[in-house]
Amino acid sequence: MTEPKRSLRDTGAPGLTPALLAAALALPGVAAPTATQAAPPERAQLDVRYLRYQDSQPGLKRITASSPSVGLKVPINERWSFEGTAVYDSVSGASPRWHSAVSSASRMHDERRAGDVRVTRHWDRATLSLGGSTSSEHDYRSRAMNVLGTLSSDDNNRTWTFGIGRANDRIDPVNGIVVGERKRTTDLMVGVSQVLTPVDIVQANITHARGSGYYSDPYKSIDNRPRERHQTAMLLRWNRFVEPLGATMRTGYRYYTDSWNVASHTLTGEWVQPLKDGWTVTPSLRYYTQRAASFFYDTVYDPTLGAPFPIDYLSNPDGIRSPDARLSAFGAGTIGLRVAKAIDRSNIVDFKIEYYEQRAGWRIGGAGSPGLDPLRATIFQVGLTHLF
Amino acid sequence: MGEATFGIEFDAMASRCGVRLAASDAARARALAGHAIDEVRRIEAKYSRFRDDSVVAAINRGAGGAPVAVDVETRALLGYADALWRDSGGRFDATSGVLRRAWDFRRGTLPDPAVLDAARALIGWDRVELERATVRLPRAGMELDFGGFGKEYAADRAAEALRAAGVRHGFVDLGGDIRAIGPQPDGAPWSIGIAHPREPGRTIASIALADGAICTSGDYERFFELDGVRYCHVLDPRTGMPVRHWRSVTVVAPVAIAAGGYTTVAMLLEGAAVPHLEATGLAWLAVGPDGAIVSSPGAG
Repeated sequence: MTEPKRSLRDTGAPGLTPALLAAALALPGVAAPTATQAAPPERAQLDVRYLRYQDSQPGLKRITASSPSVGLKVPINERWSFEGTAVYDSVSGASPRWHSAVSSASRMHDERRAGDVRVTRHWDRATLSLGGSTSSEHDYRSRAMNVLGTLSSDDNNRTWTFGIGRANDRIDPVNGIVVGERKRTTDLMVGVSQVLTPVDIVQANITHARGSGYYSDPYKSIDNRPRERHQTAMLLRWNRFVEPLGATMRTGYRYYTDSWNVASHTLTGEWVQPLKDGWTVTPSLRYYTQRAASFFYDTVYDPTLGAPFPIDYLSNPDGIRSPDARLSAFGAGTIGLRVAKAIDRSNIVDFKIEYYEQRAGWRIGGAGSPGLDPLRATIFQVGLTHLF
Repeated sequence: MGEATFGIEFDAMASRCGVRLAASDAARARALAGHAIDEVRRIEAKYSRFRDDSVVAAINRGAGGAPVAVDVETRALLGYADALWRDSGGRFDATSGVLRRAWDFRRGTLPDPAVLDAARALIGWDRVELERATVRLPRAGMELDFGGFGKEYAADRAAEALRAAGVRHGFVDLGGDIRAIGPQPDGAPWSIGIAHPREPGRTIASIALADGAICTSGDYERFFELDGVRYCHVLDPRTGMPVRHWRSVTVVAPVAIAAGGYTTVAMLLEGAAVPHLEATGLAWLAVGPDGAIVSSPGAG
């Protein structure tokens, strides 16, 4: 006798479930993947999430942020849809005033309220949407608008995406270093996604942003950055459906460069594995490597003035320079796991944990900035999606 | 806009089949329909149990022997057969085709109990050894049968072949298993009639379909009556006997292979089917033993 290799769910109790439909849709070639979903969503979707972020460096627990958010997507009719999100961030902790110096870290607590809305008009093969967002903290306010369009080929195998956006920020730091400073950014995006085979979709896009205004960190010492920043990023993605396992592999590469001479490469990979009874697990990995901004100065200080004053401070006190570790040369890795469970047709809960570590020594393609402490962060998120 | 639609009929899978699509002229329509017909014939040749050179015949010949290597498409379909078996609590069983050895619907007589028992002993999807790239039927005489999802799969694949060829308005009909590619050229949905289970040629309802699929399973397709009892071709693998209760079940789903799976399983669940149909969240319509129609809210 051969042992039965498979067992029935719930000891033989039958049940027609959406799982059968999912199994059907996973079959090769029965429902072609389309590069975009031009049609408005059929059901409204409510997302409630809570995210907690905590970072640290040796000897200093730095920033803790908690962010509850709520999002809503609603089809208005066959041609229009609306979506919006609201976030409340509460950020507290300490951040170094320069480099990764612990002793003089500035304690801070801040609250941020942000929201965005988007209205989309859908045609058979195209969409056009208008979005707006706002974000405010007691010392920083940002408002942005953007227009996004998509256009699909007759066979829906190729979709072009175009976007243009404009953001206006206003900065009023509590220490009064500057008053009523502004920053304005315009960005452009063009992208294309293409279905290559019934199981492969590739996507490429390029974004270019031009900004001018106040970019310095008013709470960091000796931080004086250029008043212009032009940024260009190129993103390539490849998603493959792995038929024998019913899984999806997602990979991506992003190249970024800007007028501050920062350049970075990001490699991402994740594996979306649906399991029985509505469970999905998604392990993910990300690697990031960055070249320092041309005006980032290493942890080498003037012998008489000491930290945080750079060697050339006395000869050029108003020079363009920054000790912000985010502008240094480093490498970083992220490892994550997302677990989701579809409770029924209308409710999905998910839980995500990510661990991030950043070290100068992990840079590839050059030396990392010396003398900086490694940074570690954990991100934890729990969410509920309700369809109605 | 304004294109005419053309119907092209063909015979395949022991059924009357057709393609209806919008095209600039009849020659173009026939050329386009060729994509669908080729795909249906490909699947028929690959999975027919009547052809010695089919994949199914090769698997069945290997019963009791070594595992048989299968390609990705076949493995995916076997995975779907497994999903059907699980979802139906073992009532849908792709190894139950052996019951045909006991039942003769043309002669219309009840099977010899010994023959029926022998056939039943060869049923058991749970005993099928399904691996990553191989399948093995553990006992000589066991048989796999893609009936119940093969034709539906062909309808989906044929529709996708048409879509890939640029067709935006049309549907594929394989003996009543229908998969739409898009609405009529003016944007209106197709109106798909549901056959009356007792009066051939009449319909009991019509369903608007612009996209997705509609399948019906019924006790009227192949049956005989004996002493006032109707014996239909949908057989319960546990007893080897025809199912009772539903005259027909119709389900609308995004793809035909799902719609067909749900209708067959609903037939097999007999009187217990309604809550399970409701749980799918799909549109469905069933004709009960007394001819009364039951349906999902908003359907029919």
